Amino acid sequence: MSRQTVISAKHLKKSFGEKENIQTIYSDLNIDIYKGDFTVIMGSSGAGKSTLMYSLSGMDKPDGGQIDFDGTDITKLNSDKLAVFRRSQCGFVFQQIYLIDKMSLMDNVIAAGVLTSRNKEDIKNRARKLFSLVNIPETTWKKTPSQISGGEAQRAGIVRAVINQPNVLFADEPTGALNSANGMAVLNVFSSLHGNGQSIVMVTHDKKSALRGNRILYIKDGEIFGECNLGKFDPDNTERTEIFEKFISEMGW
Amino acid sequence: MNRTITLIIHNLKKAKGQYLSFGFIICLTALIMNIALVLAFQTFNAYDSRFTELDTADINFMIPSLQDDSEIIDELYKMDGVSAVEKHSGVFVLATVREFADSDFDMNTVFYNLDEARTMNRLDVSEYQKKDENTIYIPMYMKELGGFAEGDHITYSVNDKDDTYEIGGIVSEMQYGNYGTGLIGGYLPAAAYEKLEEEHKEHIVAEYSLTVQDTADLTEIKNAITDCLSDKGIAALNINDRVAGKQTRTMVCTLLIVIFLALAAIILAVSIFLSSFRIRSTIEDELAQMGVLKAIGYTSKMIISSVVFPYTLVGIVSTGIGTILSYAVLPSIAAILAIQSGFVYTPVFDGVALLIVAAILILVIFLFAFLSAMKIYKLGPMGAIRGSKGNGDAGQNILLSALSIGIMVLLSFAGTLLYNVSVKPDNFMNTLSEEIPSIIFTVQNDKMSELKEILQEDSRVKLVLEYASTPLSYTDGSLTAFVCEDFGKVTNDICYEGRSPESGDEIAVGNTLADDYPIGSEIEISASDKSAFYVVTGYIQSVNNAGRVCQLTSEGYEKIGERMSNVNVYLHKQNAKAFIEEYEDAYDSLIASSLNYEQLNENSRTLYASIVSVVAVVLFVISVLLVLLVLYVLINSMISRRRQEYGIYKAIGYTSRQLTIMTAARFIPVVALSAGVSAIAGIWYLPVINQIILSQIGAIKNYFEVSIFLLFVFVIMFTAVSFFISVLLAAPIKKITAYSLLKE
Repeated sequence: MSRQTVISAKHLKKSFGEKENIQTIYSDLNIDIYKGDFTVIMGSSGAGKSTLMYSLSGMDKPDGGQIDFDGTDITKLNSDKLAVFRRSQCGFVFQQIYLIDKMSLMDNVIAAGVLTSRNKEDIKNRARKLFSLVNIPETTWKKTPSQISGGEAQRAGIVRAVINQPNVLFADEPTGALNSANGMAVLNVFSSLHGNGQSIVMVTHDKKSALRGNRILYIKDGEIFGECNLGKFDPDNTERTEIFEKFISEMGW
Repeated sequence: MNRTITLIIHNLKKAKGQYLSFGFIICLTALIMNIALVLAFQTFNAYDSRFTELDTADINFMIPSLQDDSEIIDELYKMDGVSAVEKHSGVFVLATVREFADSDFDMNTVFYNLDEARTMNRLDVSEYQKKDENTIYIPMYMKELGGFAEGDHITYSVNDKDDTYEIGGIVSEMQYGNYGTGLIGGYLPAAAYEKLEEEHKEHIVAEYSLTVQDTADLTEIKNAITDCLSDKGIAALNINDRVAGKQTRTMVCTLLIVIFLALAAIILAVSIFLSSFRIRSTIEDELAQMGVLKAIGYTSKMIISSVVFPYTLVGIVSTGIGTILSYAVLPSIAAILAIQSGFVYTPVFDGVALLIVAAILILVIFLFAFLSAMKIYKLGPMGAIRGSKGNGDAGQNILLSALSIGIMVLLSFAGTLLYNVSVKPDNFMNTLSEEIPSIIFTVQNDKMSELKEILQEDSRVKLVLEYASTPLSYTDGSLTAFVCEDFGKVTNDICYEGRSPESGDEIAVGNTLADDYPIGSEIEISASDKSAFYVVTGYIQSVNNAGRVCQLTSEGYEKIGERMSNVNVYLHKQNAKAFIEEYEDAYDSLIASSLNYEQLNENSRTLYASIVSVVAVVLFVISVLLVLLVLYVLINSMISRRRQEYGIYKAIGYTSRQLTIMTAARFIPVVALSAGVSAIAGIWYLPVINQIILSQIGAIKNYFEVSIFLLFVFVIMFTAVSFFISVLLAAPIKKITAYSLLKE
């Protein structure tokens, strides 16, 4: 059965800096992201993982090439149209979490929810379900980001990211700032969402995080250097782990 | 919009203190702007309404009753533009009012019969109970400035004869009412008036009052009147008109409006800097959060609205509150103005003023907030999330520098005003007055030389100078002439261009006549039945009689009038009262009357000093409030931005006290430098500001001094107060712990 492409990027170009100090990240990169996949992008520091992810999500514009996101060439959209596009199509989870200070967790989620729905009660109902899904108790919903732990804050960040039922959920090192237990709780949420059919693109350095994905892409020298399909996450499947270890070892990890 | 409201509410909740301080400053701006505009709109309109309500004549002139001619009324009616004429009689004298603001006050006074029917220049009498021959009704001005009230006794001294009356009531009228118009009224019940008329038959005058059509030219009609009288060989004792009266009576009001508007402009400029700074620093502080908002789908417009709208909303609410509060202050200001204007009115709500204040403030706030927030447009979500926080020092220093310069302008202006009124009162009085002797003696007939000789030999006397003021007329109406034996000896040179007259055929004219009579041209001046031409040698200033004044040498004046009988005496030391008593006892046959000008001058100075002190104190208080507010915003923003840095300092051993002083001290170089630069610039700009403001009331040349020492003191005080306030405001640093380091 052929997989349905949700994002198809062709001949992407991206560089930073000017004149002599120009640093090319990639000059002709091609990548497809498939619906329902938990795609993990790995690579060494400075390889352009985050840059690629933010280009694919319309957060940043590539210098050249095309990105077909579910039928829309997002490279042709201006910044306002991209913002409107992101509301319904993308969800974002950041390493530094970036919840809005002094807004309660519920208000943080509503601030994103109101962008696609005028029915505040409906947004709240969805938020309640999602908070339950990520194991944030009701007593915490009214707390502000400074009053909760990093793990809780990141899970609330995930609720905010998926409140509008995005086509693709993008995550940039979502466990990077968390301790082991909190990181695990967050990864469980990702697996759970993936289990429910959510397409996810995650950038990570962390092998434990990467193992949650079913498709691993390794970026090196400005191109997709390798790809590894692991199948669905199963913590007891040691063979899957071995395949992954072998893959990243071949990639030079 | 619904989507943006969540962000707007969040922003408002998040920075309540910042919005409150911004709201307060806008409230203050709105309050001052509204006061200025309501005064500008309503004082002049209230004046006009009262003028109309009392059917006040557009032109009034007086001639000696003995020269009155029954044909005059018919000829006045024939003049183009004249719609009605009314004639009354009065008694016109130079009267000294005893105990006027605790002094003797010399003024040209016309006594009228209160019971005479009037259709023009009607009188609004506050009380009307007593009507006997010992009762008088005084104008509002005498009550407000002189300190008299119903039931008090008042003594008028005319030709050295004192008449004491009981004040039956206060008359509100719009014909005279202010010493600045050169003439003031006194209103006697029929019995009292008839008695006075009997005693002063030679001073009975016929007063003609004219109303003119709206389209009529007042100057042309006045010229026609002068021509008509001239043809009959009659010299008007006084001609006044609607425009000159209004200008004189609203002089202080005009001055206050200019000051208030300038003040509002300075505060508005500071508040604009403040809001721009706040927005820019908010954007810097919340760069990442704005990036996240963009990432999750908020458009630039939505984020900009969420930043701009709270400021605009706070601006709208504060403008409303400031405007409402101004109505609590306005009655007191109107009462202060009544002292000088001689008419009382109660300021009422003014929709137009509100609209103008609201339109200016809200538009300016919106525009500057929008321009400051435009940075968000260019901000990509990735750039924002990854962008680093700036330290905001440049914006902060610009804001602080602008504030320091603005505040120093306020302080220097207020201080200079106060300095020239309280410390160097002669500067203020010389600017607003003509000669300021210690005593004016009116000499008995032909005794001038004898008295002068005695005075000149008195070692207590610094200068003796024949000097007098007298009403004369010229082609366009009446003018007040200052007649002096030698203008080279005057102590207050009011000539601001050219020179004072030196010979009998020369004249210097007032600023109002300057356009029509260039230096070198000739002007015809008349008194009684004589007239003569004089060559204009210069221009003089006067805030009285709307600038329609002139200087003539005694020789020049004697071409058209008798030798004046006044002599100014300037004493080495202040002791006019004892000097007068001694001279009146010793030289009764030489002195007809005496005027303690030293006391009168002191009274005027006290009156103006009280008004100026109120203005100066208001300016000082506003300055301190502005410093407090701006430093609050800066320090608050700095503490929040550098929380981590303070944590690091504490971790390595700095105490809260050291950090508080370090924070406060970092503002001081900018404050001190800007204040110093402003003070040095003040040596140049303060005379310019004084010149602009004082010229509004006719004082083209002012004697105001700018005290460099005072400016220096202000720089030190301002810097010290800023440091002290900064230390207090930086106190929350105490609450920051080294643990703040770990938080992020």
